[in-house]
Amino acid sequence: MEDISGALALIGYGLAAIGPGIGIGIIAGNAVQAMARQPEAAGMVRTTMFLGIAFAEALTLIGFVLFFIA
Amino acid sequence: MIWAAFECDPATDIICKPEFVNELFETHTIFSIGGFDVNRAILLMFLAAFVAIGLLWFAFRKPAVVPTKFGAAMEAVVGFVRDEIAIGIIGPTGIKYFPYLLSVFLFVLIGNLFEVTPFINFPITSRMAIPLFLSLLTYFIFVGVGIAKNGFHYFSGIAWPKSVPAGLRPLVGLIELVSTFVLRPITLAVRLFANLVAGHVMLTLLLASGVVFISQVGDIGFRSAIGLGWFTVGMAIFVFEIAVAALQAYIFTLLSAVYIQTSVHPEH
Repeated sequence: MEDISGALALIGYGLAAIGPGIGIGIIAGNAVQAMARQPEAAGMVRTTMFLGIAFAEALTLIGFVLFFIA
Repeated sequence: MIWAAFECDPATDIICKPEFVNELFETHTIFSIGGFDVNRAILLMFLAAFVAIGLLWFAFRKPAVVPTKFGAAMEAVVGFVRDEIAIGIIGPTGIKYFPYLLSVFLFVLIGNLFEVTPFINFPITSRMAIPLFLSLLTYFIFVGVGIAKNGFHYFSGIAWPKSVPAGLRPLVGLIELVSTFVLRPITLAVRLFANLVAGHVMLTLLLASGVVFISQVGDIGFRSAIGLGWFTVGMAIFVFEIAVAALQAYIFTLLSAVYIQTSVHPEH
């Protein structure tokens, strides 16, 4: 069982990366759309985009840290 | 980790891993002062603080109408933190928190950039103590500001939000309580820590594989070609890590500002 634990943690990290990956894609895509439609709001959109990416990314990074702890 | 890679015999056993994953996070004590063990991370932490102070001091010691190139660059950085983060997020009263945000931004930025500085190659923010301490500072500031501005209403406003229907208030209040007082400091610290650890491990693995494959394998041929490939990928990641270092410093400061903003204007 001990031999397989490292591999299981890797699989867990991979699963944790799926959702935020999709989420970051949606955030960035919609941000690009918003910037293209309203270039004068680009600065505000960019700040909000980074915020959204940071929140979505946190879940993956928690998975990454748990990979070391597990 | 590079030394561990050199110690294994590439001819027979190319895959060697540390016995214990904590070896990645051990820093050896260099010397001790009165019971305090000083290691590389602590020395680099002081270096980062001195570099940050030195940058600001050299840029702004002689205010001139036409600044030098270096002064103009520093003015751009300081102006960016003041206008985009402090005033842009918190609002006109944000200038009060601007010194804290600028210090955090510069310290985290320099600490992150140590990752790609030749001969240092070690991001101090990849040791949990430093991001955790910075995020606890932000935590105490935003809770303190919330209590100072709103009194007890700060807690009741989070636990019993007026803007949602009455039936949902206990549920939303519980989620908000946990996310504000437990998850915020943890995710703020873990985000910075994990990004830098991931980058550091990735860089070390790729560049060390390149070096080991090229130098340790005797015959020049197929294996050194693989090593050259690893080294090229490592160099590409190197450039990417510079962008990550700057971006994570920006995001850490931005989120600190956002958290303070939610305490200053709790209704928004």
